[in-house]
Amino acid sequence: MTSGSESGTKPGRGLIGLLLVIVPVALFAWMTVWPILSGITRALSPEQPDGTRALSISNFAEFFSDPYSLANLGVTLWTCLVTLGLLLVICVPLALYLRFAQGKLATYVQTMAMFPMFVPSIILAFAFIRVLGPNGSVDLLLNAVGLPKIRSPYLTPWGPVIGLVWDNIPLTVLILVSGLGSVTNYAIEAARDVGARPLALFWYIILPRMWTSVAVVVSFTMLGLFSAFTLPYVLGPASPEMMGPFMQRTFGDLRDPDMALTQATVTMLFCVAFGLFYVRAVARNRGK
Amino acid sequence: MHRRHFILSVAGSAVGMVVLPKLAFAEAGRIDWYTSSDTNILDFWTNIVKPKFEAANPGVTLNLVDAGDSAGQDAIAQRALAAMQTKTDPQADYFETADPMSPKGALEAGLYVNLKDSLSNWSKVNPLAIETDFAVPYRGSQVLLAYDTTKLAAADVPKTWADLVTWIKANPGQFIYNRPDKGGSGGNFVRRAIHEANGRDPKAFTLDNFSPEFAEKALAPAWEILKDLAPSLFDNGAYTSGNTQSIQLLGQSAVTMIPAWSDQALQAISTGVLPETTGLVQLTDLAFSGGFSRGVVLSNGVNKEAAVKLADFVLTEEIQSAILTDLGGFPGVSWDYISKELYEKFKDVVPSSIPTFPGGDWGSAISDGWYRNVAPTVDRNA
Repeated sequence: MTSGSESGTKPGRGLIGLLLVIVPVALFAWMTVWPILSGITRALSPEQPDGTRALSISNFAEFFSDPYSLANLGVTLWTCLVTLGLLLVICVPLALYLRFAQGKLATYVQTMAMFPMFVPSIILAFAFIRVLGPNGSVDLLLNAVGLPKIRSPYLTPWGPVIGLVWDNIPLTVLILVSGLGSVTNYAIEAARDVGARPLALFWYIILPRMWTSVAVVVSFTMLGLFSAFTLPYVLGPASPEMMGPFMQRTFGDLRDPDMALTQATVTMLFCVAFGLFYVRAVARNRGK
Repeated sequence: MHRRHFILSVAGSAVGMVVLPKLAFAEAGRIDWYTSSDTNILDFWTNIVKPKFEAANPGVTLNLVDAGDSAGQDAIAQRALAAMQTKTDPQADYFETADPMSPKGALEAGLYVNLKDSLSNWSKVNPLAIETDFAVPYRGSQVLLAYDTTKLAAADVPKTWADLVTWIKANPGQFIYNRPDKGGSGGNFVRRAIHEANGRDPKAFTLDNFSPEFAEKALAPAWEILKDLAPSLFDNGAYTSGNTQSIQLLGQSAVTMIPAWSDQALQAISTGVLPETTGLVQLTDLAFSGGFSRGVVLSNGVNKEAAVKLADFVLTEEIQSAILTDLGGFPGVSWDYISKELYEKFKDVVPSSIPTFPGGDWGSAISDGWYRNVAPTVDRNA
């Protein structure tokens, strides 16, 4: 790498680099690494009857033998996967359209796609109840043309899914569009010249260049979805509940910080997997 | 080192210092006050308590902060407890409503001021409302049933628990209550079921008689009552996640009846969130539990003395009358300390007694038990 050879000749460079990164690294260590370590330590050393703490996996054994906790973990994974699937189905065509379309309509579509980014999720949640909730706007419109009411997704597992999909469209589209930036018009034209059909064009030219951004979307949205709180809290069913509200309830309402930390550790393990997936995707891209 | 390098690195660290979180300190003479209650309470403090208190105490100001929900306020309390251990500034003096049992260990560590010993007005407090010496009950509210009179005539409204159960089962999908930990209207509906299962005696439950065994024995039959109701509730057993959402469903005419806080229901009707045709009724065999909101003062706050004055101030007749007239709540002091005219005006609306249910460990046991026993039995496809 060029910077490495330069630092060999100019000894000041390395120091500047270190000074520049020391603040973020220190903040990261203080506000992220330290709480994680202290949390995991606490979860792994449950309080004994005599008040001391000893190393034991009993908290985790309790979590994984409790059908209620497992159901909550299950519904969290289900919500994340379904939301992610729907997001890709909606956003890949949208990103392709925004990459290749030109003119006024594309501008409007882009504005619409970015709009959810500026709506706080609590507002979204109450608007959802007004629109898709029982006797909401959709029901009123259907009723006006003589159609039956919808089966409202409010307070079912589909409530948070719909809310989260809407909320995550902007980020997903942005990442995918930026990934599509690496597909040059020349490559498309060249492929068209040799007679490639749209499907072949997508499969052989566009998709190979999109993989990294799809991988980034998968890891980013999964991390965001795992920590979702407001939408599952307001729109989801009472049971099973997603890990976000469940952890908060265990910590604040049941006053059981150790169990909340155990739930957080389990949740974090899943997030670490997606984090590693992200790092690998980015590293592979850098290596090219 | 090169001069240019030196300047660059100094500039780099200077930028770093600027972006570090700003340190804030509490101000002397400015009471940092937090609430986890709904907006109507914050409005009441902003428009009524704050100006009156500041006029009565020159040099002292009130900094009213909305902590969002109880989790938000808990975080402030956790911070204050941590600040106590490190002997630093908690930047908090007063909580509008708090349970001194939370966070765990705070009461033992001396985080909250003993208000019984500190307040000159403590003797005025309604004895029924006192739960602990560390929190001052200053306003009360009661849960009642709010219903749509266009669908259910006032004459046919259930007046006892047994009638209510019969009505819910005869009208499936027309009743909903919120999860007991997410708001008091559903929480006290669940507590009414617990009273029903235990001989309708509110005195059977106290802060001190909690034990896991007793809780198990007392709560199990209540879960059976509530599980039995579940299939007849809205959407075959859905539960909203807050008082406001229940009111919204009644307002959208999606259900016919909900349990609701008296003050919130009255305000919703006056602002048009609920239609004029909304009726309110209380059960006659045993009323739904009410709750008193209890303020606490933090012992390590910079403005502890001023905050104690504030706790005393909210018990004055001026504020207690305003709670009746402006807030639609019940006073925290005994009726002897409320003006005769007000008493005459409100005596029909305000019940002579409000059953209460203790908090502390009972709250956790009820919430955990409900989530594990009642909530999951929903067969949504039924």
